Amino acid sequence: MEEVPLLKTLSAKYAKDAVILGISVDVSLDRVDRTIKAKGMTWPQLADGKGFDGAIPTAYHIQGTPELFVLDRAGRIFGRNGSAARIETLIKDALARPPRP
Amino acid sequence: MEADLVREQPNPDAPSSVQTPGMSTVNRSVLSRAASACLFAALIAAGGQDRTARAQTAQPASSPSVADVRQMAADARKAIDSYKAAGGAADAANHPAIESSATIWQIHERAPRSEAGTIAAVEAIRLLNRAELWDNAHARVASLDADDPAWQRVPSLLYEEGIARKRVDDTIATLSRTIASTTVAANKAAALVVIGRVHRRQGDLPAATRSLEDARAAAPGTPQAEEADGLIYEIKYLTVGLPAPAIAGKPRNARRSITLDSFRGKPVLLVFWAST
Repeated sequence: MEEVPLLKTLSAKYAKDAVILGISVDVSLDRVDRTIKAKGMTWPQLADGKGFDGAIPTAYHIQGTPELFVLDRAGRIFGRNGSAARIETLIKDALARPPRP
Repeated sequence: MEADLVREQPNPDAPSSVQTPGMSTVNRSVLSRAASACLFAALIAAGGQDRTARAQTAQPASSPSVADVRQMAADARKAIDSYKAAGGAADAANHPAIESSATIWQIHERAPRSEAGTIAAVEAIRLLNRAELWDNAHARVASLDADDPAWQRVPSLLYEEGIARKRVDDTIATLSRTIASTTVAANKAAALVVIGRVHRRQGDLPAATRSLEDARAAAPGTPQAEEADGLIYEIKYLTVGLPAPAIAGKPRNARRSITLDSFRGKPVLLVFWAST
């Protein structure tokens, strides 16, 4: 999770305007909890301990991590990326879209 | 608007592309690296000997394992990268990729249908691609029998080349020839999957779906069919502009349950992660 520092920055920068939601594919919920604490991940974290076979990773066809999706204001898929590095551009673009009428 | 319509899948051949949760990548030991270097030297030496001498001295080297081949390829990649970093000319006759890929290709020629031989063919072509020695790579691909099991992996190399060089029409043409001439269902399916990927990347989702459905029908129950299934699913449910699949649950670090719907009005960043 070398992406955590960047995600923290994004979380602070866009706290008012966007939502960050984490989904762990760890198979040990203890491990999830430990990582959340150790890394100081303050945004909401979902996990069911079923790894890639969990309901959410299955629905999003997750084959590896990290994997990031940006959804627009209407909850539609706006983009995806296998790294956090270029994700801020996507968030900015999604924010630039006017709110749903 | 820079939204990626389709993010390219990680290369299925790259061992680190799919991470198992709770597992971090462990480097091969220094020991096996050293052993591989010896093998590499032995193979090169064997190449210069006559048949009798080779049979006497190079017996173990004539049947390298899959791990040996992968290690040789890893070492060769490093050599190519150092050569590039040092400003070596891409078209030089002494480009390190020419020799290393030829050495690895020999493993394929000695045992074309074995697992190690199959991976050797793929790795040899991949090294030439890495060095951007496209003509050399094409010559290897052209010499590969359409029924060779390496054709289950070569299509993704052609895809990478097609994308990198903006020549996906060539990629489709090469794959179509293999589809027409192979009698191996998995080879046909692998080529069809990559044609599906090309169409998807170009935004032609109906053509992509047709190709992927053909792949699935050509070789049911194979990894290629499974891959086609996954891509068909992505096109149907995860294409840009479609409503995101529902999410609901109680976060590990919050008291109250959340739903994706409740975030309407704000963009949402979903981060799928695993502890390392």
